[in-house]
Amino acid sequence: MTEIKKTYKNYVDGKYVRSESGKTYTIDLKSESYELPLTSKKDLRDAVTSSKKGFDSWKGLSQYNKTQIIYRLSEMLEGNRDSYVDLLLEHGLTKSTANKDIDNAINTLVWYAGLADKWEQLTGNLNPVDGEFFNISHQEPLGIVFTLNSDEVSIDKLVRSFLPALSTGCSVINLSEKNAVLSLKLAEDVNNSDIPAGTLNLLSGDFSKVYDDVSRHVEINAFASYKKLNKEILKTINENASTSVKRIFHLPSEDGLSSILPFIETKTVWHPKGR
Amino acid sequence: MDKWEYSESIESDSIVSIQSKYGHFIDGKFSTPNSKKYLKTVSPSTEEVLASISIGNKNDVDSAVNSAKEGLKTWSKTAPSERAKYLYKLARLIQERSREFAVLESMDGGKPIKESRDFDLPQVAANFFYFAGWADKLDISWGTKEMKPYGVVGQIIPWNFPLLMLAWKVAPALATGNTVVLKPAETTPLTALLFAELCEEIGLPKGVFNLVTGDGTTGSELVNHEGISKIAFTGSTSVGKYIQNAVGERDIGLTLELGGKAANIVYNDAALDQAVEGVVNGIFFNQGHVCCAGSRLLLQEDIHDEFINKLEKRMQTLRVGNPLDKNTDIGAINSKEQLEKITSLVNEGVNDGGELFQIECDLPSSGYWFRPSLFTNVQPSYNIAREEIFGPVLTTLTFRTPEEAVEIANNTEYGLSAGVWTEKGSKILWTADRLDAGVIWANTFNKFDPSSPFGGYKESGFGREGGRHGLLSYLKVQS
Repeated sequence: MTEIKKTYKNYVDGKYVRSESGKTYTIDLKSESYELPLTSKKDLRDAVTSSKKGFDSWKGLSQYNKTQIIYRLSEMLEGNRDSYVDLLLEHGLTKSTANKDIDNAINTLVWYAGLADKWEQLTGNLNPVDGEFFNISHQEPLGIVFTLNSDEVSIDKLVRSFLPALSTGCSVINLSEKNAVLSLKLAEDVNNSDIPAGTLNLLSGDFSKVYDDVSRHVEINAFASYKKLNKEILKTINENASTSVKRIFHLPSEDGLSSILPFIETKTVWHPKGR
Repeated sequence: MDKWEYSESIESDSIVSIQSKYGHFIDGKFSTPNSKKYLKTVSPSTEEVLASISIGNKNDVDSAVNSAKEGLKTWSKTAPSERAKYLYKLARLIQERSREFAVLESMDGGKPIKESRDFDLPQVAANFFYFAGWADKLDISWGTKEMKPYGVVGQIIPWNFPLLMLAWKVAPALATGNTVVLKPAETTPLTALLFAELCEEIGLPKGVFNLVTGDGTTGSELVNHEGISKIAFTGSTSVGKYIQNAVGERDIGLTLELGGKAANIVYNDAALDQAVEGVVNGIFFNQGHVCCAGSRLLLQEDIHDEFINKLEKRMQTLRVGNPLDKNTDIGAINSKEQLEKITSLVNEGVNDGGELFQIECDLPSSGYWFRPSLFTNVQPSYNIAREEIFGPVLTTLTFRTPEEAVEIANNTEYGLSAGVWTEKGSKILWTADRLDAGVIWANTFNKFDPSSPFGGYKESGFGREGGRHGLLSYLKVQS
């Protein structure tokens, strides 16, 4: 029987889609080559439109619900771990490294699942202001975040490039380049995990083709790169971002509480006390 | 309405001594500037020249940054608890010389003495006290030890709260172990120069605090200097954008505290007299030279006429005049340039079709003044409803439902602050949840405290000043 090869597509708005441009790029793995969508400017705009909707849906869920959904994603990975290990082996990892990586990724998912309903308690507080006032600082998700995954062959690195923003309630557009097969494979589990359509869009392609639009797009509230960018690209990004005071994070923290700090806004509310 | 006449009660300016010419404060002492250019800082209430200030050039900024680099060697070896003591000493000294600072602030900037004396100076001292105590608790502030100071920080501050903005910037930067090069605003440098004298007096290690005076060109030299690891800026959104652009390929820290066009929402179930007081304080505090000023009054339609009537009556009691008179509510507009900007926007508002109410009062014959002003019958598309006027000008819009109030309030690129007036607690929380603003005052306005984080959403900038959150602006995550 002829083996059927899987076609990987971008994951946007809860659907698997090809690039509207029809363009692809090739990722060569050990035994097979894959043609992946080369995300275009139009694809990016579609992803942003979907992310706006995804942000509202995600925001509408309780933190408790978000926790369960991210935990559900870890269950999906656990259930499919063999297929992830196989794919990592295809990328050239050793069996032990591959096993360790999927273990790490699952643990990372579980950690952030548990953070989703706690980070507000860790980052907000009452402020002891002078005078008869109730004053509280609490946090809100920044909005639509575009993140760039590193080129490391790792599911753990991949999930760490969207979980900090996602677990705080942002919607995320995540782009992977050289290891995008892993990301688009993960999209299948994302799709089965009850994450609302548009909340997490996973794209493949070449960042150098879209960074100008990513940094210019006024509806993307923040950009975080988990991959070291060259100076020329960083310069253009900062220049473009300045037109709408977009938040730019180059190599932000990938673990612990500090990993989520870029993606939250502090809102402080005052009210007098009295009789 | 009849107004009781007050006798003048002028705060004496004999307590301040102003030099005719100032240099920069670098390496722990005042030095002769490399730049030969000077500008004159004038009193906006008399147009009298107070002093000549150096316009720092590239060499001056270089010296200051190098001094800060040297200072970092000492400062990073200074025990956190010792760093704290320097800040406590500064706080004490500011309290002791508070009257001198307040008079100088009012002379140089034009704000009423009752504000510089009762608001600015107590807040300045409180900021140094507050952040002093954090210096030796950084490891427990955010539950992580992986955060470290940036190093040399470049700070640029505005003219509306000159010494208070210095305190907001310098106190947390030094507490977290950074060293500083500060550029005060060109129209209000005098209290910062006096602060530098205090640093010398308490024996703050050389190079820890450096001050370069000047104008936009000096600020630009500082922003573009390769020796700084972080920029902290408070000022207009347009300059903020210039700075973010100038960061370019440099991987440095940046916090921006920019403009605002805050909505002050008054629901029909608000305590109206209290709301009138809050709205007046929200826009006329410090001549409206406040980035978080409640400059857009959003009134629920059915209380519009009653509220405007009360508001106009209350506005008419405001006393405009000599900043050093203890009875003055509204002082001088900070500069000729700012007065021209306000005048031009207000004229535009009238031409657009807005209905303008200005209080009747005599204005001094010299100096820069603007009557407290209220616009009604305004469309949201008018510039007076969209642009930051940064003066004593309030623009009124109306709404029917809470949903509409939120929509109008958020319909701006800015997101610094907002006000909500209602006696219904659930409505406050519902509204506050939906407003895109970093600071929300409910049944109050323009309240500040060192422990309370301040900063904006959207194009009002990023990063927070004040509180535990303010520490994050001066600490970076070590990777």
